[in-house]
Amino acid sequence: MVRDMTEDPFESVVAAHHAEIHRYLVRATSRPSDADDLSQETFVRAYKAYRSLPPDANVRAWLFAIATNLSRNHFRAEGRRRQAMVMAAAGASERGSSWPEGEVIASQAGARIDRIVAALPLKQRLAFTMRKVHELNYGAIGESLDCSAESARAHVFQALRKIRRGLDDLDVVHTERQP
Amino acid sequence: MNPENLTCREIEPDLVAVAAGEAGASAARGVERHVGVCRGCRDELARYRVLEGMVADLRRAPMAGADPTLARAELESRLADIRSRMVAYGIFSSPLGKLLIVRSELGVSMVRYIDSERAARSHLARLAGDEAVEDKSAVEGTYRELLDYLNARSTRLSWPLDLRWAGSDFQRRVLAATAQLPYGAITSYAGIARRIGEPASVRAVAQALRHNPIPIAIPCHRVIGSSGDLTGYAGSKIGLKERLLSLEGVPVGLRAHRIERDNMYVLFEGYTEYCLPTCGSLSQEPMAQLTLFGSRRHAEAVGLTACSSCRPDLHPLSA
Repeated sequence: MVRDMTEDPFESVVAAHHAEIHRYLVRATSRPSDADDLSQETFVRAYKAYRSLPPDANVRAWLFAIATNLSRNHFRAEGRRRQAMVMAAAGASERGSSWPEGEVIASQAGARIDRIVAALPLKQRLAFTMRKVHELNYGAIGESLDCSAESARAHVFQALRKIRRGLDDLDVVHTERQP
Repeated sequence: MNPENLTCREIEPDLVAVAAGEAGASAARGVERHVGVCRGCRDELARYRVLEGMVADLRRAPMAGADPTLARAELESRLADIRSRMVAYGIFSSPLGKLLIVRSELGVSMVRYIDSERAARSHLARLAGDEAVEDKSAVEGTYRELLDYLNARSTRLSWPLDLRWAGSDFQRRVLAATAQLPYGAITSYAGIARRIGEPASVRAVAQALRHNPIPIAIPCHRVIGSSGDLTGYAGSKIGLKERLLSLEGVPVGLRAHRIERDNMYVLFEGYTEYCLPTCGSLSQEPMAQLTLFGSRRHAEAVGLTACSSCRPDLHPLSA
C-alpha cells in the first residue's frame, strides 16, 4: 500500500560513490583514519540534503564538493596540514638519496608521487587529485574549491610542475627511451 | 635557445597542457615550434608525458590503508540511525482545510490542521529539528488515501502509525483505545477511561486526546462528552468534528453541537447485539459503558447483529 519511504534511493548513491570518495579523501588528508571519518561525514551531509538536490544534478561532482569542503575545514580547524607535511617530509627523507632504476622505477613512482602530492599546498593537492586521479572537469573542481575553472586548472598545473620537479632525480625520460 | 616569441619559462604551462592533452590548437602549435628548436624543452615535454602516464597509474593502483570497508559499514549504521529519526512532510489542501502530513519510515506520525504554513513548519521544527524534511512525494500516497476517506470513497485508513510524538505511556494507551473505535461509532471520554482501566481519569483522557498527534487516523472525533456534547476538537475547530461525524452517518445537532442518544443505536459493553436506545433499561445506563452507532450499516459492518428483543432491524430509527 504505502511504498513511500521504504525504498531509499540514497542507498544506491552510497553503493556507487562511497569507495571513490573514500579514496579521494585518503589522498586529501594523507591519513586513512581521517578519510574514514570524513567519508562518513560527507555521506551523512549528503543524505540530509539529498531530497532538495535537483533531479538533474551531477551527484558525483556534488559529493566531491562536499568532501572537498570537509577536507578544507578539517585542516583549517585542526592545523593538521602542517603535521601531514612533516610526516610526508619524514617519509621522503627516510628513502635516502639512492633511487631504484629501470623497471622498478615505474612501480615506485606511484608511491613517490603520492608522497609529493601529500606535501603540496591543500588547494593544489585537492585540485590535482580531483583532476588527475578522479578525472573531474575543471568546472566541477572550481565549484568544489570556490574558484573559477581557470584557477582550478592553474592549481592542477602548478601541482604537476612541482611533481615533475620532485621526480628530477628519476631520469624518467631516459628510462622511457631505453629499448 | 629560443628563436620563437615565447621563452622557455613562458612555454612551460603550455608544455604541461600539451602533455595533458588539454592544450588549445594555437598553444599546441607554439609548443611544436618551440620544441622543434629547443632540446631542453623537448626533453621537458617528454618528461611531462611520462608523468601523465605515471599519474594515470595512480587511478588504477591500490592505495595503502585505503580500504573503505569498515568506514562503509559504520556509515550504513549511522544512516540507518538517521533514517529512523528522519520524517518527511508535506502541506496539502483538503475538504477540511490545509493539512500538514508527516511520516517516518515506521508510518504516519502526524496529521495536523493548520491555519498558517509558517506556524506549521516551526511547530515541526521544534519537534524534529533538521530531521524533518519537506518531501511531498514521500507523503503523497498518504494524502491520496486521506482524500478518499474524506470524500467518503473509503471508510478505512489502514496506515501504519508512528506514535513518536505521543507524550507518555498513558497517552499511548488512550490513543490505542481510541484507534479501536470503529467507523460510525461514538463513545465518551469516560468510556475510553474505562477501556484503559482508569475509570477515574476522564479529564486526563480528554487532555491526551486534545494532543492527539494523528487526528482522523486515530479517531478522537468519535469521543464526546457523557452528556452528548461534542466538547472540543483541534482547538476551536468543533465544526470539523461535526463534519467527520456526519461523514460517518452520525446525526449531529448542528446548532447545539451535540449528539442525542435517542437518535443512536446502542451497544452495551460486552454484547454482540446492538439495540434501539429504548431497549430495556439502556436509557438509564451511563455513557461510559455504551458505544453508539449512527447507522445500522456501520454497526453490522463490525459484526454486530440486531437485538432479538427490541428488533432495530424491524423498527429502524428514522434518520
